[in-house]
Order: sequence, then structure tokens, then C-alpha cells
Amino acid sequence: MTTTLAGGRAARRQTMRRIRPRRSPATALLLAVGAGAVGVLWLWWHNTPSIADNNGKILNAGRITGLLAGYLMALVVLQMARVPALERRVGSDRVARWHAMSGRYTLSLIVAHVFLTMWGYALQAGKSLGDIVQQTIDSINQLPDMGKAAIGAGLFVLIGLTSIAPVRRRLPYDTWYHVHLLTYAAVFLTFWHQITTGNDFAVEPMAKTFWYALYGVVTALVLWYRILTPIRLNLRHRMRVEAVIEETPGIVSVLIGGRKLHRMGAEAGQFFRWRFLAPGMRFSSHPYSLSAAPRPDVLRITVKAIGDHSARLRELTPGTRVWAEGPYGAMTAQRRSRGKVLLVAGGVGITPMRALFETLPGASGDITLLYRANTTQDLALWDELAAIADDRGARLMYAVNSPDGERPDISAERLKQKLPDIDKHDVFMCGPAGFAQTVYEALRGAGVPARRIHHESFEM
Amino acid sequence: MRKSHPIRRVVLATAATVSGVVLMLSLKPASDPNAEAAGGTAPQQSAAAQESPQGGAAGAGSGTVDGAVVQTQYGNVQVRLTVSNGKITKADAVQAPKGGTSDQKTALAVPKLNQEAVAEQSAQIDSVSGATYTSTGYKKSLQSAIDKMKASAGASQGSGSSQGGGASQAKTVTGKVVQTQYGPVQVRITVSNGKITKADAVQAPEGGTSDQKTALAVPKLNQEAVAAGSADIDSVSGASYTSAGYKQSLQSALDQAGG
Repeated sequence: MTTTLAGGRAARRQTMRRIRPRRSPATALLLAVGAGAVGVLWLWWHNTPSIADNNGKILNAGRITGLLAGYLMALVVLQMARVPALERRVGSDRVARWHAMSGRYTLSLIVAHVFLTMWGYALQAGKSLGDIVQQTIDSINQLPDMGKAAIGAGLFVLIGLTSIAPVRRRLPYDTWYHVHLLTYAAVFLTFWHQITTGNDFAVEPMAKTFWYALYGVVTALVLWYRILTPIRLNLRHRMRVEAVIEETPGIVSVLIGGRKLHRMGAEAGQFFRWRFLAPGMRFSSHPYSLSAAPRPDVLRITVKAIGDHSARLRELTPGTRVWAEGPYGAMTAQRRSRGKVLLVAGGVGITPMRALFETLPGASGDITLLYRANTTQDLALWDELAAIADDRGARLMYAVNSPDGERPDISAERLKQKLPDIDKHDVFMCGPAGFAQTVYEALRGAGVPARRIHHESFEM
Repeated sequence: MRKSHPIRRVVLATAATVSGVVLMLSLKPASDPNAEAAGGTAPQQSAAAQESPQGGAAGAGSGTVDGAVVQTQYGNVQVRLTVSNGKITKADAVQAPKGGTSDQKTALAVPKLNQEAVAEQSAQIDSVSGATYTSTGYKKSLQSAIDKMKASAGASQGSGSSQGGGASQAKTVTGKVVQTQYGPVQVRITVSNGKITKADAVQAPEGGTSDQKTALAVPKLNQEAVAAGSADIDSVSGASYTSAGYKQSLQSALDQAGG
């Protein structure tokens, strides 16, 4: 068994702590964001004694949408700053969904703000809605920082267009990603007109200070966690590819060596964003879960060759430098609230489950793994799983299609039949969206409360 | 892992935002409630006070007057007026933006603005579309030239009435300079028979958005000052800072006029 990574005991000791579920700070964060939005609206309310006519209403609607957009824009960037509290406590997947949602909303606010403000100015100058284009050109020429703001707004629209689902599917990931990086430029370009032309910041020096502080903190967090932290991590651990192993047809494991890897603080269930410094791969990084508990000298990822990038992993040569960012992900032992745990894996979703299966603390019979694949040949890492199950007295089950291609029955009744006390379990789940949805409904039907189903999904 | 309903979410977010904004806008009164309450206690003056102070002052003020040099993004603008019997008979731009497209714009805009200034006898003239910046600068320089012209007319008028000991006690009072974040504001009023007959801003914020805001706010404030006869006037929305400075300077001018 050359592919087996033993050494589970040390890792298990690391995670062996009292079961003490940590609540996700999501609710508190959402409340804080809401309070900030109320504050921004109050600023407008406070600085606007009266609105004389319809023209004033249009201009003030432009101000409100502009203020909210400026506030949310900072938060949209913050969500991608890889702040540990967000990545490891709330969960990278959930934060990414927030980012997509609030990004769309903010872009809509920006478009509304530009339209309403220019319409209002056109009316103020005695022109009509039809002259809005001319008014926009005039404003760009006359108002400070408005040229920059216009370029920034154009970039935001471009970024929004490349992120619409059908467009994004057709674009190579790298193109989409690099266009998305322009967000930083767009935020910088649009920031200045907020300060120089924003009525509320001119009238209220406190508001200006707050705005500078908001953007300053976000900039600092981005620099720290997206640039300095990864540089420090990689300088310290100096990771390289050690071996590439074919597990089953189409699924490969990559062993990555480095110095003092246990000091990275990675836990089973977490992932890193990996960048392999090999030709054609160095310009994009991809998230892959650890498929074994981290060891001081080696980490392992297991990847199914679905995309362009994952197919190339097979050709990696030992010694290739690796640039990693992480660890990220909240689906760890910390989420657990009960003694008994059911792990459910679909296909290559086995990777984080394999690591958890090995390291989750538990007595004999506490841990159960249900592994779903198309055929028995597709059950990657099966021998390892069997060895772990043997070693720690855990239960291992698999569900594959019948020889005629029929899908196995994963229903509430069937789950209850296999695991009579399923409603006393915490469930960790990883797999494709359709599979996860089916299992989720079956679990809920079998009496597992939603708060004890821990699932990570990067579908938007 | 609740089922997501993207369409429902979009509709909800849009409806919530639109109704929230509309609600906030509709909760705002059409005029400043504080100013209104104060205005109720202050002595209201009739709009009839708005008669020309220049009525009996024929012959006062002839010659040329140069307005202030106003800096625009494209270059300086300065207006020179030829005044005869208190009337603008000719307006010229001594300085106007040059170079690049500015030559074209200046050639197009300045003659029109000159014409309008003579026709309107005031700085409330239309901007020339396509040369908004030059127009704004022109109007400001024109306003300052008119201010100078009226000041000299007012001075000669003042001396005339004191010689004749006439009934019309028109005098010009300049309020103190109030510093705002955008620049100083100073108001000059003409008072006749204890009533404000005219209000002007001798100084107002310049540069950047301030030009637009000043052009928008000052004429309104002037009008309101004459109509209200007091410093309890409404702020112009979008130019609250200038409005506040204006009101302060106006109040100090009124104090001087009263004392």
C-alpha cells in the first residue's frame, strides 16, 4: 500500500479535543452589515433637510443608491480578502455565495446611481432625460475625479457581464479571473469621486473620516491576507511536488512535501488554493481539499480530472514548486456537535471525507462513512478507507449503480434502516450539487435537523 | 442547504430597495421644517419689496467695469462690461480659454454669452451647450462685474440721497465673510426703507462641483433673502454648506443694517 498515508494517530491527537461546536459568526456579521447600511442611510437623512421637487427626488435617489453602493463595494471586496474568520468560521463556500450575491446587488446600485444622478443633473440644467448622454459627458468634463469614476463604472459593468452564468461558462477560467481582478482598479478609480463630489462627505467631516477608515481597513486586510500572508506561508514551508499517483482511472493524488507543514494549522476537511509553478499552470490557482490528515512532511490532494487544469495535474513532475494559499474551509471537526458522525461522499467529494474519516475523534462505531460512486472501480481510495475503518472500528458503506445502470436508493427510509439512530448524528457531506440536494432531503426526512447537516458547495 | 430561488430573490431585492428609497424620499418634506418654523415668528415682508433700487438713480455709473478672473479647468475667464447710465451696453471676454478644442468653443460661446449679458442685464443667462465650463466661468465673472457696477452706482446713489435728504434711504451693506469648507461666502444686501430690495453673493465657493452648486444655489438664496426679508430662508438642497454660510453672512449684514 504505497499510497496509504498512515500517521493518523498524531493527527487525531491534534484534533482530539472536547466536542464543543463553534457557532458560525454569520448572523452577527450580517447584523453588523445591516447596522452599517442603516448608518449610511441615516447620513443621507441627516444631511437632507428637504426635497423641493421631482428633480430633487431623482437626485436624492441617486445619492442614496450611490452611498449604499460605495458602502457595499467595500464589503464585496472584503468578502474576498481571505480573512480567516470568514474563510474558516463562516466557510469559504458561503462567503463566495455572499460575494456573488452582494456583487450583483452592488453593480445594480451603481448602474441606478449613474442613471439617476445624470438624469437629475440633466433636469437641473434645464434639459430632459434624452440629454442624459450629453449630461454625462459634461459631468465627466467638469466635475473632479469624474473621468476616473466613469472608467471605474465601465470596468464594473465589464466585470458584471463576464460573471453572468452563460458568459462565464464560455470563458476560460483564467480570463474570467483576470477580468475579475480589475475590481481593485475599479474600486480605486471610483473611490475619489465619492469623496470630492459626494455631498454628504463634504458637509460631514465625520462621514469622510469613516469612509476613509472603511476603505483603509479593507485595503489593509486585502494586502495582509491576500498578499503578505501567502508570501510568508510559502517562504516558510517551501512546498514541492513529491509524487503523482493514479488512484483510479481519471483520479490522481498529488503528494506535496515541504518544511514543518503541521505549522500551517490545517485541519482535516480544509482545502488550499494551489498553484503549480509548471508551464501553463502558474497563472491560475485552484482549490483542492486535503485528502489525508496533514503530516509534518507531506500533504496530499486527490483530484478528478474534469477541467483543463485538473487534467494537467497528471503530468506534474516531482520537484515542481508549489505555491499554496490557505488553509481555508469551515467543514472541520469544529462543526461537530454530537458524538456520532455520518460522513457522506459523492464521487471525488471523498477527499475531505477521507481526511475527516481518519481524524474525527470517536469511539468504535461512532463514525460512519457512506461513499457513493458510479461503479466499484470509481471508489477511489477504497483500500485506504477500508484500512482506516478496520483500524478504528468505524463503519464503511458504499452505494454504486446496479449493473444495468440503475441508481442506488438513497431515501429517508433506507438511511434509517441502515443507521437507526441517524437523527442522533452530525452529518458532513461533500459531493456534486444534485447528489447533495437528494441526500439533504433524505436526511431531513430521516429526522436530522438542518443545523447538524454540514455541507460545503461551490455551486453559485 | 435550502433550495435557492434566484428569480424570487432578484424580485424581492429589487422591490425592497425601490420601495425603501421611495419611502425615504417621500418622508422628506418639500421645504425645511426648521426654517419654516423660524420664518413664522420672523416678520414677513411682502414680495412687493422687490422693486428696483436703481429707480431714481439715473445717470449713476458709467464707464467700463472688469469682473473677477475666474479659473476654469480649461483656462481663465474674465468679463469686461461697458456701462452707461447704469445699464450694460456692451460685454466682452477679456480672457477666455485657448488652445486645442477650447479655441473653437470660445469662438462659439463667448459672442453668444456677450449678447445674452446685454440682453438680460444680469448674470442669469443661459449656458452655451457644449461649453458649460466656459459659460459657468463667464457667468461668475459677469456677476462680479455687475456687483462692482452696482456698488459704484449704489455709492453715488447714497451720496445723492443724502445731499437731497430724500425719502429713499437705500443703502448697501456687506455681511461678514463666512468660511465654509468649500470657500468663503459673503453676502451683500441693498436695503431701502428697512426692506431688503436686493441680495447678492460677493463671494461664493469656486472650483470643482462648487461652481455648479454655487450657480444653482446662490440665485435661489438671493431671491429667498429678498422675499423673506430675513435670514430665515430655506437651504438649497445639494448645497447645504453654501446655504449655511450664506445665511450666516446674510444675518450679519442684516444686523449691520438694523444697527
